[in-house]
Amino acid sequence: MESEITKKFKSTEGSLFIPYISLGDPNYEDSKRWADAIIKGGGDILELGIPFSDPVADGPVIQRAFSRAFMNPFSLEKIFATTRSIKDANPSTPLVYLTYFNPIYHMGIEKFLSAANKAGVSGFIIPDLPFDSPESHELFSKASKYAIDLIHLVTPATEKSRIHKMKKNSSGFIYYVTSFGVTGERKDFSLDLEERIQYVRKDMGLPIAAGFGISTPDQAAKISKFSDGVIIGSSIQKIIEDHGSNLEICAEKLEIYCKSIRSAMR
Amino acid sequence: MNRTLYKQFDEGYFGEFGGRYAPEVLTEALEELERVYAKLKDNRKFKKQVDYYFKNYVNRPSLLMYAENLTRHWGGARVWLKREDLNHTGAHKINNTIGQALMARYMGKKRIIAETGAGQHGLATATVGAMFGFETVVYMGDVDLKRQELNAVKMKMMGATVRGVSAGEATLKEATSEAMRDWALNVKTTHYIVGSAIGPHPFPTIVRDFQSIIGKESRKQFKKSEGKLPDAVVACVGGGSNAIGMFYGFIGDKKVKLYGVEAGGRDKTPGNHSATISLGKPGFLHGTKTLIIQDENGQIVPAHSVSAGLDYPGVGPEHAHLASTGRVSYANVDDDDALSSFLEVCKIEGIIPALETAHAFSFAKKLAKDLGKKKDILICLSGRGDKDAAEVYRLLGDI
Repeated sequence: MESEITKKFKSTEGSLFIPYISLGDPNYEDSKRWADAIIKGGGDILELGIPFSDPVADGPVIQRAFSRAFMNPFSLEKIFATTRSIKDANPSTPLVYLTYFNPIYHMGIEKFLSAANKAGVSGFIIPDLPFDSPESHELFSKASKYAIDLIHLVTPATEKSRIHKMKKNSSGFIYYVTSFGVTGERKDFSLDLEERIQYVRKDMGLPIAAGFGISTPDQAAKISKFSDGVIIGSSIQKIIEDHGSNLEICAEKLEIYCKSIRSAMR
Repeated sequence: MNRTLYKQFDEGYFGEFGGRYAPEVLTEALEELERVYAKLKDNRKFKKQVDYYFKNYVNRPSLLMYAENLTRHWGGARVWLKREDLNHTGAHKINNTIGQALMARYMGKKRIIAETGAGQHGLATATVGAMFGFETVVYMGDVDLKRQELNAVKMKMMGATVRGVSAGEATLKEATSEAMRDWALNVKTTHYIVGSAIGPHPFPTIVRDFQSIIGKESRKQFKKSEGKLPDAVVACVGGGSNAIGMFYGFIGDKKVKLYGVEAGGRDKTPGNHSATISLGKPGFLHGTKTLIIQDENGQIVPAHSVSAGLDYPGVGPEHAHLASTGRVSYANVDDDDALSSFLEVCKIEGIIPALETAHAFSFAKKLAKDLGKKKDILICLSGRGDKDAAEVYRLLGDI
């Protein structure tokens, strides 16, 4: 079965804009409003971060977003319900969970997949679950039943032999990490970015979306020339951090920002 | 997921625990570390270097001491102490940092980083950083910086940069996350000296191997002195590096009973203890699958212990495995009992033990009575308690 994400890449011309928000910041109800604004601003696929107590792959902006989210009572039921509302309001936008693995494992892989599927999610990005772990194999084999993609990360340090091995357990798209380190805004990206992205695309036969550190329209414009998607998280989350207390102003700023990114992309 | 499946994947598993669950950006560095370690661990020249520094810098072999006063006072089995507190920098942590610093030098890294709770691992890292000429950065939670100020000062004196971490509970868990983030950013130039037998493969194996000197020496020394092996071996467990090192000397001696002692903290409710093996559940934290204290949503619950070195919500994956196989028995001791054992050892034996080890003493006291005379208990005295003196004084007042 072809996933919603694959269909989106096939049906959209040019590079896809993939914005990210952390669910629950500053509360779950407002998350829905942020999602609407971002999608209205041109988001093609929406990444939803599930707050985790120990987000080792995330920089300070997303860490702070998670801390604020935890000031509300947290439950996975609430996460799934919020996700469902976002999906109902935006049925043609594929949703992807960005989550650390422990909450999935704790709930049970099958149960989590089923709940995520019911909530309208069509892909998982799990930064601490390498493709060559037993759990990743189990998740990948079970996810296809729900048409949920398992999206793996490739970094500037990932060896070519490893990229090749990743192929058989990857679907949807590849999240190409543009620079070393954790999530957050940056001025520079690795020098061989274009060449590496082209290599990964050719070897894996999947669309490649680039993320980590992209924040300006200029950066998005440049990277979208050779990538199939541009992922932006921290700078969107920063808008929520700065203006999240005012629902309308924040939603407006999110929409304007996303429009500026979308229009800069090819 | 059955155990056979884990075995198929990697040697980095201990039964179903262990493995490598780190962000992709670290994979290359972890694979490099695995390759380098496989090459060095049986390399005669490298082993000779490690032995040289153990003997000439750490002051190994550390003493095996018959604790005459504690034996008499407790009125049961004979008590022996493996004196890791007499090592340079005052704890077992130096064994591992010497080994990993030599590996970092071999790999051509110019910078080393570490996380620390009680500060002993941070101090040991700052020490090898100074001696081998590395730029050194140590991450330490702000709460721990306050309660272990002396060690932070010592680290700075050695030329290390100490970076306070204010996130979350501002203790070891957060310091570990921050060190991992630093490593992800600087992975080409930096080696992360993980301080306990935790983290993604191959760290639990590397740390265990460097710490196994404790058990190997103890076994040899005890046999030479008594012509037999001890009946029981006791060690405290946070991440569990001193314990795994001590146990490894005796793991094949089925008649020797092995006991790991965790921090029971204030009580058994979440957030008030660090008794990971008794009260944790399998999960994934800081790059490894192990037992973790977590809530009903799979979020990690902050740990507590009076001892900064024990308040970590996870445990080394090999301990999780040894618990599941029953080879090692794990117990826990609460804050109050640890504090009273701390004072007892000071007053009876004239030794200030680390608060971590005080947990092992408290358990061993009961065990000594249960075993009775003519039996022998060996306790790993993992470090000295100078670092804890001010905190104990603050908690107990006029002692």
